[in-house]
Amino acid sequence: MVEGAELQQEIEKIFDTSDVQYIIGYSTDTGGFIRIPFFAKQKQDVAHLIFSPFCVNNLAMYLKQYEGSGKIGIVVKGCDCRSVIQLITEKRIARENLVIIGISCGGVIDQKKLQKKYPTIDRSIEVMEKDDDFIFIMKGEHHQIPKKELVLEKCLHCENPTPLIYDVLLGEKKQSYGSERYSDVRQFEEKSLSEKWKFWETQFNRCIRCYACRNICPVCYCTECSAEQLNPQWLRRSVTLSENTVWHLTRAFHVAGRCTGCGECERVCPMNIPLMLLNRKILKEVKDLFEYTPGISVDETPLLTAYKPDDPEDCIS
Amino acid sequence: MKNEERFVFKPGQCVMVGLLGVGECMFAIASSPTKKKYLEISVMKQGKVTTALHNCKPGDHVGIRGPYGNNFPVDAWGGKNLVLIGGGIGQAPLRPVLQYVLDNRKKYGTIHIFYGARTSQDLCYKNEFAQLEKHDDINVFLSVDKEEFGWKGFTGFVPGNLMRIHPSAKDSIAITCGPPVMIKRVIDVLINLGFSEKQIFTTLEMRMKCGIGKCGRCNVGPLYVCKDGPVFSVEQLQRIKGER
Amino acid sequence: MKNSIIKKHQIPDFIQHLLQGYTLWGPVHEDTISIYRQINSPEQMTLEFQKCKIPPKEIVFPQTETLMRFRKEKNVTVETPPLPKKTTVIFGIRPCDAKSLQLFDTVFLGDCEDPYYASKRKTMISVGLTCSTPSENCFCSSVGGNPDDSRGFDILLTDLTDTYYVEILTEKGEELLKGFKGCTPATNQDSQKKNEVCQRAKKGITRQVSVKNIETILDDIFDSSYWETIAQRCIGCGICTFLCPTCHCFDIQDETAQNKGARVRIWDSCMYQEYSCQASGYNPRATQMNRVRNRVYHKFNYLPKTNQVLGCVGCGRCIDECPVHIDIIEIIGHAQEVKQ
Repeated sequence: MVEGAELQQEIEKIFDTSDVQYIIGYSTDTGGFIRIPFFAKQKQDVAHLIFSPFCVNNLAMYLKQYEGSGKIGIVVKGCDCRSVIQLITEKRIARENLVIIGISCGGVIDQKKLQKKYPTIDRSIEVMEKDDDFIFIMKGEHHQIPKKELVLEKCLHCENPTPLIYDVLLGEKKQSYGSERYSDVRQFEEKSLSEKWKFWETQFNRCIRCYACRNICPVCYCTECSAEQLNPQWLRRSVTLSENTVWHLTRAFHVAGRCTGCGECERVCPMNIPLMLLNRKILKEVKDLFEYTPGISVDETPLLTAYKPDDPEDCIS
Repeated sequence: MKNEERFVFKPGQCVMVGLLGVGECMFAIASSPTKKKYLEISVMKQGKVTTALHNCKPGDHVGIRGPYGNNFPVDAWGGKNLVLIGGGIGQAPLRPVLQYVLDNRKKYGTIHIFYGARTSQDLCYKNEFAQLEKHDDINVFLSVDKEEFGWKGFTGFVPGNLMRIHPSAKDSIAITCGPPVMIKRVIDVLINLGFSEKQIFTTLEMRMKCGIGKCGRCNVGPLYVCKDGPVFSVEQLQRIKGER
Repeated sequence: MKNSIIKKHQIPDFIQHLLQGYTLWGPVHEDTISIYRQINSPEQMTLEFQKCKIPPKEIVFPQTETLMRFRKEKNVTVETPPLPKKTTVIFGIRPCDAKSLQLFDTVFLGDCEDPYYASKRKTMISVGLTCSTPSENCFCSSVGGNPDDSRGFDILLTDLTDTYYVEILTEKGEELLKGFKGCTPATNQDSQKKNEVCQRAKKGITRQVSVKNIETILDDIFDSSYWETIAQRCIGCGICTFLCPTCHCFDIQDETAQNKGARVRIWDSCMYQEYSCQASGYNPRATQMNRVRNRVYHKFNYLPKTNQVLGCVGCGRCIDECPVHIDIIEIIGHAQEVKQ
């Protein structure tokens, strides 16, 4: 577990030694249980910063606000760091303009699972890590529970708990928690076409086109989204099954080869649409077809901007 | 226009003009209610609806609903001198006031008109100004923002022209319409020239959809431009918190 | 109008009875969430739910609503959609949501009455459900409401474990129960039990915020950098606005296919960048700070000024669902401490 004092010390050093405009981290202020994103603009703000298993948000999405010049700092977990790497390969931000404070992560808590397990918890809850368990302190009582029961699904098979690039690393380097087998995708692939459509019909019918999935995604940063264009109009504004389906499939393809599987889109969807099933299907396809995993190396060229002579081309006849 | 007696409006009010299949936009009625046979709007080609309106031919049908909004209190300005300050397409809401005043000339004092645009090509109603300049009690000061070959009027921004002529604030009412930045600067100049906030009026512009105060979009603080505006006195605007 | 008791296991019969003459909407469980859906059979509906994701505003003010259809052949023909034939009964409305519909009435009825809203709203019959166990972010009691507030309902049900206490509040409500034999008159004991449930419910609200003088406080801090701090993490999605029972902003779009089309009203969000963006490119609310501040002021300053009513009913949905945990209770609570 990363100690708050250690994190704050390192960040103070960064304010002293680099000319960062601000550092994006997580705040001690509660937003319910989950620790909220926070912009530390000066050394005095550092006292607000913390890291705990309640730090769920992928802060890489705030790199979308980057003005284009000057240095900024960012606190990242292993999965968040992959989004940062992807943005560097896309030249959204240069490596030298980033001070990366890496956190070796032991898994973060799924709020929905937590609330289901402990329906009466309130905002005063605290958490500690002890080996493979969490210890929650609620109203003076301690509850110990295996991490695997409460972490987000993505944490269960996280291959990069330690950020792949960083300027400062907090916490001991960790091995992967499992390897990505895409078992949920494979299971879904077994269904018949009509079963698959029926499933997605129910899901997309619930979509309210709030665009939270797009706005929270670190790699969705088009200044004018195709969903908003009126001339030409790709997508109608009306919220119907047909338009919702187009929206989700369009977005899945627009992030194909760029989505690192951080899962934020699914986490924030108010209608609990399993968006990661779509994105992970594409991640699996990208791996199978091109042996490519987004967000692993800053030296990689983004998948769809480069080609190798031996790329599969069965689709071209 | 058929059934003109059913469409009653006052200078400053607006109409929603639309084309089925394209959409609707709110326009200031650019003619005075004293012109009985027709209604005029001035359309700047900018987006989807305005482009479609530009492509309309005489005889085409358009949808109109209104009139919406409040109006310039022209009847309360009897005896006053009027200073009309417009920029670009912002001259459109001022035109009904001007026409109304000219059709009731004896009721009003001198008229100063300041009107400017980016280039002389962007100036609206050019031939009308040429006619107005012939009157002794109407002073027209046109301007273009940048140097232009053959331009004989003032070169510079409208607030600069206003400052240069410095019309008197005594017994005067000033009305200004145009880009938000221009309005802000013009109001500053007017205040410097001794106009009180009660003496200065403007029209605000916001994106609109319903035009009747329900879609929530056009609010400036607690007021809706479609319903409580578009005409506001500067005194009113200073009292409300909200972006405009 | 005498209050009654319906046994829980009789509710399906009641639904069946109503389906004969009314269109029914009610809460259903769908996957992991509760949502209002049109009810076609008693098994669909549940009254064992906490909060429906989308408030019942979606029933009288649908997210996508056709205002008119048109066809351009030799002539242009325009038709408006037909009015609903049957009266709609909506089950499981919470007191906060009922209050929000009253606010909607001040917007859509009155001056320039909206016929699409009015035709649904004026005929609907609301069967409410007292909130026996308020959820964590509920704060209705801070904004003039209560978990057992009966205003705005035709009938209000209160869960008494095996039965529902049925408060009949209007003639429409009484009409609903006519012909249904599964009701028995409520006894004094029932009434007492109901009061106990309501008292417990009120105590179940753990979060409070003072809105005393909030209008004046907000007037004073409009230009404060407080709003920058609040807004800096906002991602500008539409969750808070779409799930908010009092938000009513909408877009109007013409949607066409070849020679026919429709003018459609669709929910819009003031949190989107393009919401106020003018065709010239000028955007009076260009930054997220402007948009977040505008929304808070709309609820707690502008609406009180123009409609003499707070624009928030304390349902807590925005707090529950905000992806970056922006919390209106904290925003309003801390507003008092902000120095200019």
